[in-house]
Amino acid sequence: MKLNRIGLILIVSALAVIAIVVGLLVQRQQATHAAQTDVKGLGLARALAALPAATLTPGVLQALFPYHDDSDFAYASVTDAAGRTIGEVVAPGTIVPAGPLPAGATSGFGKRTLAGTPGRNIVEFHGPVADRANGVAFVRVGFRQGGHAMLGRDVSFFASLALMMFLLVPVIYLVIKREMAPLAALASQVPGLGDLPAARRDAHDIRDLADTLDAYLRTATARIAELEKNALNTVADNRLLQYGSKKLNAALQSMPDGLLMLDPGGEVSFATSKIEPLLGVGLEELLAQPVDNWCRDAALAQLLLRCRNGGSDTVRGRTVEFCPVNVPGKHLTATAQPLTAGQGAMAFGTLIVVRDVTREHLARQAGNDFVAHVSHELKSPLNVITMYAETLADTEEPELRVESLNVIQDEVERMNALVGNLLNVSKLETGSMSPERNRVRLDDLLRDAHDHALPRAEGRDLRVQLDIPRELAAVAVDKDLFRIALNNLLTNAIKYNRPGGSVTLAAREEHNEVVISVRDTGIGIAPSDQLRVFEKFYRASERGAQAPRGGHGLGLYLAAQIIELHHGRIVLDSVPGQGSTFSIHLKMAPAALEGTTVL
Amino acid sequence: MNGHHILLVDDEPHVLRILRLSLEREGYAVTTASDGNEALAKMAERLPDVLISDIQMDGMDGRTLCPLARATYPDHPFLILVMTSMTAIEERGWARALANTEFLEKPLSPRQLVARLARHFSAPPAKMEHVNVA
Repeated sequence: MKLNRIGLILIVSALAVIAIVVGLLVQRQQATHAAQTDVKGLGLARALAALPAATLTPGVLQALFPYHDDSDFAYASVTDAAGRTIGEVVAPGTIVPAGPLPAGATSGFGKRTLAGTPGRNIVEFHGPVADRANGVAFVRVGFRQGGHAMLGRDVSFFASLALMMFLLVPVIYLVIKREMAPLAALASQVPGLGDLPAARRDAHDIRDLADTLDAYLRTATARIAELEKNALNTVADNRLLQYGSKKLNAALQSMPDGLLMLDPGGEVSFATSKIEPLLGVGLEELLAQPVDNWCRDAALAQLLLRCRNGGSDTVRGRTVEFCPVNVPGKHLTATAQPLTAGQGAMAFGTLIVVRDVTREHLARQAGNDFVAHVSHELKSPLNVITMYAETLADTEEPELRVESLNVIQDEVERMNALVGNLLNVSKLETGSMSPERNRVRLDDLLRDAHDHALPRAEGRDLRVQLDIPRELAAVAVDKDLFRIALNNLLTNAIKYNRPGGSVTLAAREEHNEVVISVRDTGIGIAPSDQLRVFEKFYRASERGAQAPRGGHGLGLYLAAQIIELHHGRIVLDSVPGQGSTFSIHLKMAPAALEGTTVL
Repeated sequence: MNGHHILLVDDEPHVLRILRLSLEREGYAVTTASDGNEALAKMAERLPDVLISDIQMDGMDGRTLCPLARATYPDHPFLILVMTSMTAIEERGWARALANTEFLEKPLSPRQLVARLARHFSAPPAKMEHVNVA
């Protein structure tokens, strides 16, 4: 036990302290004794030297000195200058050492140490006798040095001192033990504090405890540093997660489609902001609300309800198409997809993707309308052809037969033009139409188009005018394509004109451009239609036309596309009720092409 | 002249011309109009025994003309023949709702029209009554 060891150390150190104390005391006593001897010896020597020489006989000396009772007193003698003894008194067992006095003995008192018997040195005090009536004489007084027995009282003093000190040991031991108790308890607890090295688990004393605590503190410090690092990492991870989450949310919000997430209970738990304009329902109205509360679209409500009921319906995606009640004119599709992390993974509910298909719907409708219209356009000339063919077969009248043949030919041409436009549009859209641009004499091309338009115009009581300067810069165009564009513009100018009106085909040069314009005095185009007339299948309102011909919504589209292929532009200027002017702006053919073939 | 009056309505002059020729050759009295308004005006002058109308016309079209003609002359349930193409099949609902109204498919053969009219006028008047009730 560590406390026993402490007790042992205490006893040993107590003994050592006792020994040192006793030693010091003895030494001190000896020093005191020596000093006392000095005083005594010197005093005695001086006293003797002051006596008259005659009195310094042995008898007198014997009588005078009580010092022979002093255990250390060795001798007192009076000698003459030659060293002969005049008188002396000697303690028993002591011999006065012979020998001369030191050289300076006549001038004053001195002290010297002489070897005495047996083994004990003698301290001698000497001095000249004052009365020199009988010549020079010297006094010598000797004391034995050091030789002293410990006195009885000293022994008892030392013994009681040692005893007292010894008695202190158990007291100190008990006090230490008492003070150590909490530390011992602590020591027994420390090993349980943490992952301390196994060697440190059995602490024996304070140092072990200190080591253990030190080890614990180091371990704890390392642990704290590790935890702080982990905490930092956690914060960083958390930020990364937050960043990722925000990014994901931004991606969802940026999607062109609206998203609704239904929890397995069928309530909307998440919705992107796109939902609001699509369904016309505020996000706060639909989040965590029963479907019936906000959904006024039957098809969507039914889809959402099926998702709530869960089961096999949610496994495969389902799509419904509907027009939202709150947003007139819109067509939407809503597709339900089960929201799972993968095959067989946990289901989080259902994802509803709401997509605006208004454009597609309109395009589809336009396509359908177009097919219906084209069919009608084809059927009308077919109808006329059928009738005239029958008439041709039945009649013998030469005039009617000629008329029939002419009408049949006209109608065939009309059908041909429509079919031609359809094919050209198809080619344009598949990108297979590539213009072969050649330098062309524009006046020939325009005259040709004018001549072509004349018969159609005359049938409608219209004048067709040609207004071109004598000299006109050449342009590089694909002759066949350009003719289609011109014919389409002229056809419209005739079709949407009024009896007695006119169509003017003109050309002029203007800032490195050749501007070809087709001007009519027809019904004009409403401002709202003007931006859209070049769209495919778009047909302007025909209000105001007196003898209208249903257009097929391709003529202007085709014309604009062809002009675009020639890097030109087409400009519309129209006043409803007064007429329209379509102007084609083409770059003049560059000089480099001057030498090339002019067709 | 067989005395029957036919009103032809179409915005295509060629159609009007050929049908007029074919019907007049058979002895019908033929009046033509190029849209619904003109047809109603002609009707007011002389009620037809048969109204033959195209659907798609500018101005008043056939969709408007036929019900209006029926409503204007409830006591004269003349036969209405609507010239239509197969493509306008969804258009036929309104015509079905009208009594004594039938379709003529485009392209229209004048011979077939003549035959159809001959059948109509040779049928017993009982059929007319029946249709009238309907």
